[in-house]
Amino acid sequence: MLELRLVQGSLLKKVLEAIKDLVNDANFDCSATGFSLQAMDSSHVALVALLLRSEGFEHYRCDRNLSMGMNLNNMSKMLKCAGNDDIITIKADDGSDTVTFMFESPTQDKIADFEMKLMDIDSEHLGIPEAEYHAIVRMPSSEFARICKDLSSIGDTVVISVTKEGVKFSTRGDIGTANIVCRQNTTVDKPEEATVIDMNEPVSLTFALRYMNSFTKATPLSNTVTISLSSELPVVVEYKIAEMGYVRFYLAPKIEEDEDDAKPQ
Amino acid sequence: MAQIETLGILQDIQSLVSDQLQVVSYKWLSRNYLVSSSTAMRLLKEFVEKHENGFEVVYLLSGWLKSNPPIYHRKLVSGSKLPEAKQEFNESCSVQVYSVQACIPKDPAVLWNAEFLQAEELFKQPSTVDNCLRDNRFCGISNSFVKRNVEGTPLDISSSHLKSEVNLGLKSNLAHQSITVPQSLQNKGQQSSSKADLLSPSVAKDVKSESNGSEVHAQASKPPGDKKNTSLPAEEKKVQNGKGSSSTGGSLATFWSRASAKSKPSCPAENSNLIPNPAGASSDAQICAQEVVEGFSSDDDVHDINVKRASNGEGTRKRRVVFDFSDDDEYEDAVNLASPETVEGKSGRALKESINIPVPEKSNSNFDKQVEDKPKTKEEISIGSEQLLKEDSSVLRNDGAMAIFPTEKKNKQLNKEDKQIKAAPDSPKRKKILKTRIDERGREVTEVVCEGQETAPPKKAECDTTKVDNNLVTSAAVNRPPAAKKASAVGNTAPSNATGKTGNKKAGNKDSKQGNLLSFFKRV
Repeated sequence: MLELRLVQGSLLKKVLEAIKDLVNDANFDCSATGFSLQAMDSSHVALVALLLRSEGFEHYRCDRNLSMGMNLNNMSKMLKCAGNDDIITIKADDGSDTVTFMFESPTQDKIADFEMKLMDIDSEHLGIPEAEYHAIVRMPSSEFARICKDLSSIGDTVVISVTKEGVKFSTRGDIGTANIVCRQNTTVDKPEEATVIDMNEPVSLTFALRYMNSFTKATPLSNTVTISLSSELPVVVEYKIAEMGYVRFYLAPKIEEDEDDAKPQ
Repeated sequence: MAQIETLGILQDIQSLVSDQLQVVSYKWLSRNYLVSSSTAMRLLKEFVEKHENGFEVVYLLSGWLKSNPPIYHRKLVSGSKLPEAKQEFNESCSVQVYSVQACIPKDPAVLWNAEFLQAEELFKQPSTVDNCLRDNRFCGISNSFVKRNVEGTPLDISSSHLKSEVNLGLKSNLAHQSITVPQSLQNKGQQSSSKADLLSPSVAKDVKSESNGSEVHAQASKPPGDKKNTSLPAEEKKVQNGKGSSSTGGSLATFWSRASAKSKPSCPAENSNLIPNPAGASSDAQICAQEVVEGFSSDDDVHDINVKRASNGEGTRKRRVVFDFSDDDEYEDAVNLASPETVEGKSGRALKESINIPVPEKSNSNFDKQVEDKPKTKEEISIGSEQLLKEDSSVLRNDGAMAIFPTEKKNKQLNKEDKQIKAAPDSPKRKKILKTRIDERGREVTEVVCEGQETAPPKKAECDTTKVDNNLVTSAAVNRPPAAKKASAVGNTAPSNATGKTGNKKAGNKDSKQGNLLSFFKRV
């Protein structure tokens, strides 16, 4: 028996919007600690890890660990039927092949039940080791989204270089090149507008903008985004979900061998 | 066991039970702390004696019942019901602590959930690891003659099966649990082995239905080099190739294909037979498609593709590249577009028997017409090819000619065939045709092109990195309605997947420098 009641239902909607473009089907794993998901995109380049801790739910009951395979597009379709202020309850019985989403309007005068068929998905979890990253950049998520969007109109890949001075996003394409430097800036009125760079050693990595752009779909979840880079590791783009957990995107870097990498083909 | 260690474990039990609310059974304890099962029971007893409240105890009662005739009985009872349960037994029954937990679970399955997860972990370990589940070293009863290698099958296979089995999800796990646990209550000593034994037969059964997936598993660890033997589904192959990644791990396509294998259980048996060739072929085709683009720098390295260079005798030195993706005769229906080469490699007679010959013929004669500038009339073609037959010492030419005269090498026959051929390109049904062109190095390249989709097929062929083979295989299905069912079946299963994936694959090609997550993170 599984019953998760999430007062801030819009959060789940946003989560789905954030990940559904990257992953088609995924297993949601429910345990006593929380509601989580780990899935790779079909080309094995990007991975999304979601955690919603049990404390973040108004009511959380998970009698035994349960893995529910869902088509994220279908799930998103159902969640779109929920109002932004609705309370969402996820229910599933042990051994059942369906999951029920219940949407309650804030005034409790409308209750909707949506039952979705589950899928049998074979997915394998990747063990993601805890790692020390060479550089961790925290910046406003909207700023990051804007940069990715802008650069993708110029080129296909972005080189993210972190130095003491700041973080540089650069790309090149047929029409020219673009460089955007964000300096460390902690002296702003609001802490969420700060750009904080925590660097142990300079690092520069190349990534496909296509994926970065799909990561930025998670922007509504958080005001800030944390980008963790190490030269030997996939980048981690993390959006914290207030009080609840996080959505983390991992993206394998491009292997830089020659320069025509950045050119669109 | 050292006293300190015991204390440490007792503390651990305390935190597991009270903080993590885990059910700590002696079995779990034994495996987790690598102590024998009797030690684990003793530890639990010690724990129960030390901490009197804050948790619930499940006891394991075993002994002879008072009933007549006496029955040897084992029973799990909660602490509160222990005295009354004891009444049922003779005085000499044994009382052991089975597990401690924060509260008695409503669902008895929770009792063994933790240890099942643990057993699952142990199962998943590589076959070379001789863990405590495999050798049952903590069992109270042991028999040195008992080999615990499940069913004598190679362990790596069984383990991968187990893995895929385990991946089926919780439901199936629970199903197994419910089978295994009562058993384990009876042979307490043998629990781990009995579990293994119980699991394995069901696994073995699953193997057939899931052979697709499990093979993928088994294969995924192989280096992508040996393409001939791979039974990977076409898609996976492509993804790997497309990215050019040398990582040994399977791609996510593995999962998709496995998932689909499950949702469509009707095809698995065939798949394992039918897919391999198209898979190999498509990967080859991809290579050669790339080579077409690259200008054929290294034809000879291409796997599975018979690249024959036949001098055409006088003057025109032209080479002909032909794709052979039918290694086995049994696939000749499926892949008969490549049959001219099959003929080369093998017996031409097999081909003659095939109903599907018209298309290869057609392609060949097209070939002849376009590239070799043979005279356009049918008779002349036939003469030309007969001449080829006589004059040309090259095997290829011979075979080409044989393909042209599939049943008998008579002019009449040929003429008939040629009529067919002539008719064929005009018929609107033909959406894909074989095109031959000469590449920049003067070699002839035969490709299958969709005429329906593109007005300028050769151009498409040039700019397109899609696999020639895909086209070939699909055209095998599309082009020949009268072709054997087998061909269309194959065309529908693996190759259609293949064509569906071409789009992705292109992206994959584009991203040849894109790293793969699997080279950073390991599967759990």
